Amino acid sequence: MSAVPAGGRAPAAIAGARSSPHLLMPMTLLFALLIIAVLRSPVLVTNAGLGSAVIVAAPLILATYALMSTVVAGRGTVDLAIGPLISFINVTLIQLVAADVIGSPIIVFVYAVAVGMAYQLLMALIVIFVRVQPIIVSLSGFLALSGINLVILPRPGGVAPDWMASWGAGTSVFSPVMAILALASLAWLLMTRTAFFTHLRLMGSDERAAYTSGIPITLVRIGAHLMAGFFAGLSAICFTALIGSGDPGQGTTYTLLAVTALVLGGASLGGGRASLAGSLIGAVDLYLITYVLSTFSFGGIQSFVTDLCYGAILVASLLLTLTLPVIQRTIGAFSSLLYFVALAIVALGVILYSTWTGDGPAAPGSAAAGFLEIEALRGAASGAERDGRIWAFVGVLLLTLPLIARTLIMGASRRGIGPIVTIVLAGVVLLGVYLATHGVASAPHGFARP
Amino acid sequence: MSVSSAPPPAGTLLSRVVGLLIAVLLTAASAGVGVYQNLPAQQVILYSAATLALTAWIWRFYVVQFGVGAGGEQGTGELRRAWRRYRPGILGFLALLAVFVALSLTIDGFFNVWTVISALILLMIIILTMSVGRFMAENRSAFIGLMVLMGLFSVGSMNIEGFASATNIKSMLLFASFLGLASIGQTLVALLGGLDLSIPYVIGAANVGLLYLISLGVPPWLTFLLILLAGALIGIINGVLSLRLQGQALIVTLGAGFVVSGGTQIVTSIGSAYSGNVFGTVPEWLTNLSSMAGSTFGLPFPPVIAIWGAAAIVLTIGLRHTVYGRFLYALGVNRTSAERLFISERAYWISAFGLSGFFSAFTGCLLLGWSGGGFIGVGSQYLFMTLAAVVVGGTSLLGGVGGYGFTVIGVLVLQVLTSFLVGIGLKFEWQQFIFGLLILPMVALYARSPHIRTQI
Repeated sequence: MSAVPAGGRAPAAIAGARSSPHLLMPMTLLFALLIIAVLRSPVLVTNAGLGSAVIVAAPLILATYALMSTVVAGRGTVDLAIGPLISFINVTLIQLVAADVIGSPIIVFVYAVAVGMAYQLLMALIVIFVRVQPIIVSLSGFLALSGINLVILPRPGGVAPDWMASWGAGTSVFSPVMAILALASLAWLLMTRTAFFTHLRLMGSDERAAYTSGIPITLVRIGAHLMAGFFAGLSAICFTALIGSGDPGQGTTYTLLAVTALVLGGASLGGGRASLAGSLIGAVDLYLITYVLSTFSFGGIQSFVTDLCYGAILVASLLLTLTLPVIQRTIGAFSSLLYFVALAIVALGVILYSTWTGDGPAAPGSAAAGFLEIEALRGAASGAERDGRIWAFVGVLLLTLPLIARTLIMGASRRGIGPIVTIVLAGVVLLGVYLATHGVASAPHGFARP
Repeated sequence: MSVSSAPPPAGTLLSRVVGLLIAVLLTAASAGVGVYQNLPAQQVILYSAATLALTAWIWRFYVVQFGVGAGGEQGTGELRRAWRRYRPGILGFLALLAVFVALSLTIDGFFNVWTVISALILLMIIILTMSVGRFMAENRSAFIGLMVLMGLFSVGSMNIEGFASATNIKSMLLFASFLGLASIGQTLVALLGGLDLSIPYVIGAANVGLLYLISLGVPPWLTFLLILLAGALIGIINGVLSLRLQGQALIVTLGAGFVVSGGTQIVTSIGSAYSGNVFGTVPEWLTNLSSMAGSTFGLPFPPVIAIWGAAAIVLTIGLRHTVYGRFLYALGVNRTSAERLFISERAYWISAFGLSGFFSAFTGCLLLGWSGGGFIGVGSQYLFMTLAAVVVGGTSLLGGVGGYGFTVIGVLVLQVLTSFLVGIGLKFEWQQFIFGLLILPMVALYARSPHIRTQI
């Protein structure tokens, strides 16, 4: 999970929060939800739990990326048709595979990405040359694609290609879907280093200024749409892997979810501002909301309560973004990267706490070692000794927090802080890797997907 | 070839030749199709003659319309100039021709006298809208909308049995009034540059809530008023919440919509064995209000049509001629200058959302009278349909341009189009597909923004 805001080079990111104060809200929400989720159901942080979380969240994350690439381009380019587009690639893929037209992985990937890019190219050309508002183009695309999806595949069904069958199992974090996600994120991060991205952001915040400074805005806009099509194609592949069949009816759901994740992640619908970290965190937030709500049982009214809480969290978190200027005024320089690190340490503590004391996440009494569980400690610790360790850990945590908070507030604008952040981050990563290598070996497979 | 600086009214020689050529080609194509389909020789000859005459006439008309006022360009030869001047028209015409021929060849029985006449009517409408529409600056969208409406209606009544019957018109107006009432709020909010996505959820919640309260034994009229008040309240809350988050208004209202819809279902399903479903008797007057069999003071049409008509007149005139309406436009066009005039952004933003909630709840209640049973998903199709009606009508989503009169046209166009597509036997998914494909060119006829180089 990258905490470096898109477009911010390392010194800029460390120099202060001005690079992206918009990430504070989604981050807080992320860790609050993560802590609740882990406390409610520790199975999330096992290898299998994280694996299935990645599988379920990947289509939404990639759909949000797709929206992100066009929304930066300005003119309010929120592609309402993203959901139907994913569905369209999904159902045509299923039908073509059923007809034995395509089958091998490479051709499937090429097909999905090509269809996504072709659609987005068409949209870009219409936006550029017909000069209709993008939202109307996308509304038009939404209706047309939703309709044609039902024509191609009237009801959910069909089978994904054979080689994709095991993708949706989600038994391990290191699945092909994870690889797609990582590569897509990497592609975006690499793209942010190019002049193209600078041009894109300039065009998004002020198209006239971009035009007068000689930026080829037509090309830049087409490029943004092509990237969106690329992500949409990948998202459709992950979606196909997730459901293992074709489903023409998910269009509206994915559109609404992706737009929500985008806004939650701090992107400006007006253009010029969107970040990979924000979109990623926004989409994961949405996944976690659903996950946390699914751990509570309300019987017959489960789905209604889910709706209610979902909407309430959405509105509340957006309202909280209104306090951002106040926060910024009170605390001069606020580093969102350090904030992330601090919250991550707290969350890690909670994860350790919950996986330590729990009697095995899914099946009570089983030797289910969690992803982040320390086998040796688990064996040795018992009774009062274990409690003692927990309190000691909490104590250390409490000592660390003020320290971090102090660094966070006072030194955020100083460049000298760089090494400390790197060391802390590296430490966290190393700890994670260590725990992972010791946890994966004994982690049982076959947890049901949450 | 005559080289004259001002072309004669009938068009240049070249354009006449081209027109004649196209007419002959079209005629030949249609005659070929006729022979191919084994039609009687008389019919083929009749159709061919009609096609030839009408195409030639339309070409002449077209050229005259575009030829007047142009010209004066010298050099580079007749052919090139003519091509440059008429390029979009010629290309468009050829494209339409190709579509028509393709359809005639692929669909059996497509080629008959009614189809040819329908195609010619559509062609005439396109020509009229393109030639006359360019002289109308302000109400072009309304003009084009009306032309499309007339064209669709005439084509529909020619091709579909009972399309123009009183029953069908009544049912079209009935459904149009539901969509129209639901779009009132969306129009007002769009005039301020916002979007309200809570409309479908408020409609569903009002629908279920009304029946639930009635089944609890509350007097129906009181319930009706309560639901309307609740709707307005939800709208006001929406407005308050999104006032400082105007860029994200669509997500705020969406979230609020989820809350309203989820909350209503929780309340109605507590103590009920059927989660989510509500049963009860709908009062007689409510059924009369919005069912096909309803009557208004003895006249044989449901009162909801009259209500919608009244609302449309009040809103259309009100937006133009009252202080409230003018200030709404002022805010939509430019917040800063409106603020300088001491127009309260807060009051107008909140009141627009309040009205939106009110009319959504009203639509939900009326839909209960129409269907007779509560269903939370009754409004789900209005999520994007209200948006489409506003857009097709010609109200800009950026604010400040348009009005409710435009939305009425948009609603009618969408409704007649639906009715037409249902009439020719298309299923829901094909209807939606064609809807999507048609919205774009319609909007493109009047809502194109200028090129960036002219905005500097």
